[in-house]
Amino acid sequence: MPEMASAEPPSTAAALSQPYVLHQTLTGHERAVSAVKFSPDGSLLASASADKILRVWSTTDFSLRAELSGHDEGISDLCFSSDGRYLCSASDDRTVRIWDLAASAAVKTLTGHTNYVFCCSFNPQSNMIASGSFDETVRVWEVKSGKCLRVLPAHSEPVTAVDFNRDGSLIVSSSYDGLCRIWDAATGHCVKTLIDDESPPVSFVKFSPNGKFVLTATLDSTLRLWNFSAGKFLKTYTGHVNSKFCIPATFSVTNGKYIVSGSEDNCVYLWDLQTRKIVQKLEGHADTVIAVSCHPSQNMIASGALGNDKTVKIWVQKSEGQLKD
Amino acid sequence: MNAPIIEVNLIFWVVLGVWMGEDPLQGDFPEVIEEFLQHGNMKCIAFNRRGTLLAAGCANGSCVIWDFETRGVAKELRDKACVAPITSVCWSKYGHYLLASATDKSLTLWNVVNGEKITHITLQQTTLHARLHPGSCTPSLCLACPLSSAPILVDLNNGTSTVLPVSVTDNTNGNAVSHPRNKFSDSSLPFTPTAATFDKHGDLIYLGNSKGEILIVDPKNVRVNALIPIPGGSVVKDIVFSRNGQYLLTNSNDRVIRVYESLLPTKGAAKELEIMSDTDDKFPRIEKLKEVGTKCLRLSREFQDAVTKIQWKAPCFSGDGEWVIGASASKGEHKLYIWDRAGHLVKILEGPKEALIDLAWHPLRPLVVSVSVAGLVYIWAKDYTENWSAFAPDFKELEENEEYVEREDEFDLMPESEKVKELVINQDEEVDILTVEKDSAFSDSDASQEELCFLPAVPFPDPEQQDKCLGSSLKLGDSNHTGSPFSVEAAQNGQAILPASSPLEVVGNSTPEEAVGTAGMKRKRKPSAKGMELQAEKGRKPQTKNKSSGKTSKPRSRSGDGIDTNGSVLEDDVTDEYL
Repeated sequence: MPEMASAEPPSTAAALSQPYVLHQTLTGHERAVSAVKFSPDGSLLASASADKILRVWSTTDFSLRAELSGHDEGISDLCFSSDGRYLCSASDDRTVRIWDLAASAAVKTLTGHTNYVFCCSFNPQSNMIASGSFDETVRVWEVKSGKCLRVLPAHSEPVTAVDFNRDGSLIVSSSYDGLCRIWDAATGHCVKTLIDDESPPVSFVKFSPNGKFVLTATLDSTLRLWNFSAGKFLKTYTGHVNSKFCIPATFSVTNGKYIVSGSEDNCVYLWDLQTRKIVQKLEGHADTVIAVSCHPSQNMIASGALGNDKTVKIWVQKSEGQLKD
Repeated sequence: MNAPIIEVNLIFWVVLGVWMGEDPLQGDFPEVIEEFLQHGNMKCIAFNRRGTLLAAGCANGSCVIWDFETRGVAKELRDKACVAPITSVCWSKYGHYLLASATDKSLTLWNVVNGEKITHITLQQTTLHARLHPGSCTPSLCLACPLSSAPILVDLNNGTSTVLPVSVTDNTNGNAVSHPRNKFSDSSLPFTPTAATFDKHGDLIYLGNSKGEILIVDPKNVRVNALIPIPGGSVVKDIVFSRNGQYLLTNSNDRVIRVYESLLPTKGAAKELEIMSDTDDKFPRIEKLKEVGTKCLRLSREFQDAVTKIQWKAPCFSGDGEWVIGASASKGEHKLYIWDRAGHLVKILEGPKEALIDLAWHPLRPLVVSVSVAGLVYIWAKDYTENWSAFAPDFKELEENEEYVEREDEFDLMPESEKVKELVINQDEEVDILTVEKDSAFSDSDASQEELCFLPAVPFPDPEQQDKCLGSSLKLGDSNHTGSPFSVEAAQNGQAILPASSPLEVVGNSTPEEAVGTAGMKRKRKPSAKGMELQAEKGRKPQTKNKSSGKTSKPRSRSGDGIDTNGSVLEDDVTDEYL
């Protein structure tokens, strides 16, 4: 299954000099994969699935390091703490669980949401977790005691994504109601609402690495980069298909600046951040690519796909000093 | 060169402000008690540089470090050798070390990260205020102000101490040490502590002595280099710098707080001072020192309460130096007075009927933390009014009714101007997603030295019991927990040791758990008025109403109750977030 590097507009500048190629396929999940994340130090990769299990893989040899079970229902999202010692996962059983990777076991269960928990995120200090749920609220939890510190009346539809900015002072949340809201993490007060003229359901939101911009994905197959303090978007990325599922997008900054996203046409798309052109489409999955993550230091992308595929695929950029076998 | 004494008359200033069209009562200062923290019996507090951690010294000799963002206990520094009540705590510049002074005449230096004691020194006398040298990351020098004699510089590595001069007489070279014996007018203490502080970078030490003089001492050669007499000449009780090192305030026995502007540069002040004081020896020493003193500090304002003549306690500046706060603990009250630097009294905050013993203003936010004699720490914050336009940016907030004048074609069937304007956004502009701007609140954020902003949060493991009985270690004294089916005071033996080799199958069920951490810790929040309504609506046990003004009685606890068995509704602490 050789992968093709295809650039939408036939321009040499748009294509990647070193295209990403498939390096590994990780199997084992028995149902759709819902989320993949690299650990902050890049040594581990975690994947969550509808089969209620989290799998942790090593990124050096891609062997399975741990299987974390305990949730009663499928898992929708996961997040590493900043020191890579803990994982939190959001599940349809209405709980968020914190897992200790050294012990390979759950240490805490955070209860309080009244409907499926859809997304979760540690703050950079990793003393708080924010979670968004189908009960239309965002909850902020204290990691140490598991206490719910705040309940933010965030939206009027299910909350699809939450993210902290780089110093942990702001939380951004997105929802099917078409809004992105930015909250002050310390006080829980709403700072800003990003709204567009038409408001298609927002399926994903994330801060840029420097915390100044926000990347949103909407269910009209569009990704937008917003300057949230001005309330205006600066860039639009299209070409992929996204109208049903909440597919996360991410920034790839290890070798040039790109936006990476999954798509419902079974491919992973890469756009150049500035020119907004598609630089590569990674093909190989057999179902919607529902999750992508970029390695923090290496040119590696991990992607996970839904039920017809159930695998996690690892893509690397083959360059001189980087062959990994 | 006396600055005019601004007499306090709140009504006058309010009227004046309103007449001039501005509200003098609005500003970046706190207004109500937001929350209180309780863990043991706390006596003194200090924020770290960024205000993310709050250290509190307790009556049992331990120091508690609060994670200020989550308002939970992050760490406790305890040692068998330290059991005497702590009199003061001080952070090192980058937050790695904490210095605590106790009533058993000791000073203890703690490593905050691993919670271990580094040094333990016993002095001749109990230190009331101990301050670590603010200039270095691994401070070895500290300034200790003992109960009854001159301040001393202590070298923490070898325990040697140097006594600082507290007064200057003409026929000596400025190294005289005298023991002031003035009494306070309320004759509460027979001896007078001399107040002292480092300047912003620790180049100089500013002393306020019992004769009502400010002495500027160079710590390197222990020499008095300048003298500034305070008008009134009464005993100085406190001397405090603002965070940016530009303003200095003194609190004197004559019940006046004086604010001085520092004319020396914040960095390298010692050198400048030496140059100034070395010029010539023609004049008598004291005159020379006074002359130099006029070039170092300039009196800017005096604050006092002319009506009730309050003896101020623990005065300090706000984080940005714009506000001055002083507390009154007379007759067991807990009152905070806030002035702006121009001298107007802008707020009087009244707390519960527990005398105030310590006070600190958050370095960045309009937040004040005060300690009461009951050992509780109260957090004062701004009363937040919801910013509705943040929720709906296309709505406009009006202060009062405005008549709406519609456009000419607004109600036309096909209005011209309502055609969707093509948003012209230049999407080709470069966007920088990586560069981070420097934090303007901190002038010398040295990137090379790692600052300790937070302590890693280790989740307290949930109790692993088959019957899922929730062992609550909350000591529920006076709180309304009767509604909760889970207030079982089962003895919780803390750590569930999980075998590292086998992944533990945590059998989840529908009974929610809420494991609360360290024993004896309570976190209570004051319910807002709206939160009360919501509570009442849901048919829960009604709570006592608390007014959201400056006056509050002790807030009732509502922590961790109301868990329905099917987990569908969890009423937790923070109903003031429900709108």
